[in-house]
Amino acid sequence: MHKLRNILCIIPPHMLREIGEKGTANQRTLALATLSHSNEIRSLRFQKEMVERAAMMRAPTKQRNVYDAKNGSQLPGTLVRTEGDPISTDTAVNEAFDGAGATYDMFFEVYGRNSIDNNGMRLDSTVHYQKGFDNAFWDGKQMVYGDGDEDLPPAEQLFRRFTASLDVIGHELTHGVTQFEANLNYFSQPGALNESMSDVFGSLVKQRLRGDTAGQADWIIGEGLFTSNVNGVGIRSMKAPGTAYNDPVLGKDPQPAHMSNYVNTIEDNGGVHINSGIPNHAFYVASIEIGGNAWEKAGQIWYKTLADKLNSTSNFQDAANLTFEAAGELFGANSLEQNAVKKGWEEVGIAVGAPPQGEGCLTAVLRAVGLAK
Amino acid sequence: MTRIEFERSGGFMGRKVTLNLNLDELPPDQAQTLSLLIDESDFFNLPDSPAKPPVPDSFLYTITVTTDTRQHTVHTSDTTAPERLRPLLIDLSARARAR
Ligand SMILES: [Zn+2]
Repeated sequence: MHKLRNILCIIPPHMLREIGEKGTANQRTLALATLSHSNEIRSLRFQKEMVERAAMMRAPTKQRNVYDAKNGSQLPGTLVRTEGDPISTDTAVNEAFDGAGATYDMFFEVYGRNSIDNNGMRLDSTVHYQKGFDNAFWDGKQMVYGDGDEDLPPAEQLFRRFTASLDVIGHELTHGVTQFEANLNYFSQPGALNESMSDVFGSLVKQRLRGDTAGQADWIIGEGLFTSNVNGVGIRSMKAPGTAYNDPVLGKDPQPAHMSNYVNTIEDNGGVHINSGIPNHAFYVASIEIGGNAWEKAGQIWYKTLADKLNSTSNFQDAANLTFEAAGELFGANSLEQNAVKKGWEEVGIAVGAPPQGEGCLTAVLRAVGLAK
Repeated sequence: MTRIEFERSGGFMGRKVTLNLNLDELPPDQAQTLSLLIDESDFFNLPDSPAKPPVPDSFLYTITVTTDTRQHTVHTSDTTAPERLRPLLIDLSARARAR
């Protein structure tokens, strides 16, 4: 069932209805469950809109907790800094606290969103997770940061602590926002879109704090994460995907910047951190075309798309069509902004308005329910 | 004969690191430590424990242990690994990163 949920991605409702009418008892149950699931999503979305409007009327409720895992694996760990506390003597604690604050502020002040759930949810972060943990993640409830590979001899260290990069913090917190909004499945194209949303808003938090226009920004994700042992400027480049690093130990940045180089793989949940280069670059191009501060117009378009338009199974083509639609709603049909969005997707090989490509997925589910060979 | 194949993929960077160990070729003290960690994890009776749904940016681990008489593979993650597997997971991660 879990697997089927995933591949039911693009089955159009009429097809599900057909299965519901003509399929076996099992197939009917499955199809009807999926149909009612999408109806449920629509009514939930309506309720959420009401909540969002109410939230806009309220004052911000920024609540941050930072915990210390003390190199262990237990989450959240020991509470070491909460809202109103003085600055800690621990740099990682302060970075997690301040980074969560900068991200909260952008979502509230620019997009009118009150925290991860748009209802003032407390922002919990844990630092010093495990030993030699060269990673950061969002576990569904909180952000978690490792210290890099501090356990290796200095000459072999590749990564610094993961709180050192503000866009990483914005990236993790945005995974929380996505979870409460489009809830993009973390696999294949929906997963790469999920990743891209995190890179987009992570980068925007940094750009806004620095006061960089789209033209001035470096568009690097994870800037400052590598030690000087690594030949690279960061983990990913939205401006030029595939060029962030090229190193004897780490290899070369594997991100494509165009659909013609899309990577089909089952590793990394279907290449979610690889193919995110494609929507990342579309956002970059749209931002440059629009000009000025990327968090203002391009960011609004992407935020509206994430909050109101995408769903858990949306693919790149859907994202292209829906960001185009959102740009039209926000700035007008055929506006400079809407044309910029179109150009952004064109540059990565996706024509806005083309029908979603989903034959493979459709065939897969029909096969799964026994209606195709 | 005991062999360990270890793979860590995913993560914020999406970088895969792998490790292949033949305990017979390791210094005896290291081989002994790893044998102990395998035993203490009750490895051959461990079920898969991947995060479902996937945890964004989490590492994904695959461990296979092969002896003369049996072979077993476990898929797991940082947030879902059973406590008794963690010491082995952490040891193998450290070795894989150090190469
Ligand atoms: Zn991520």
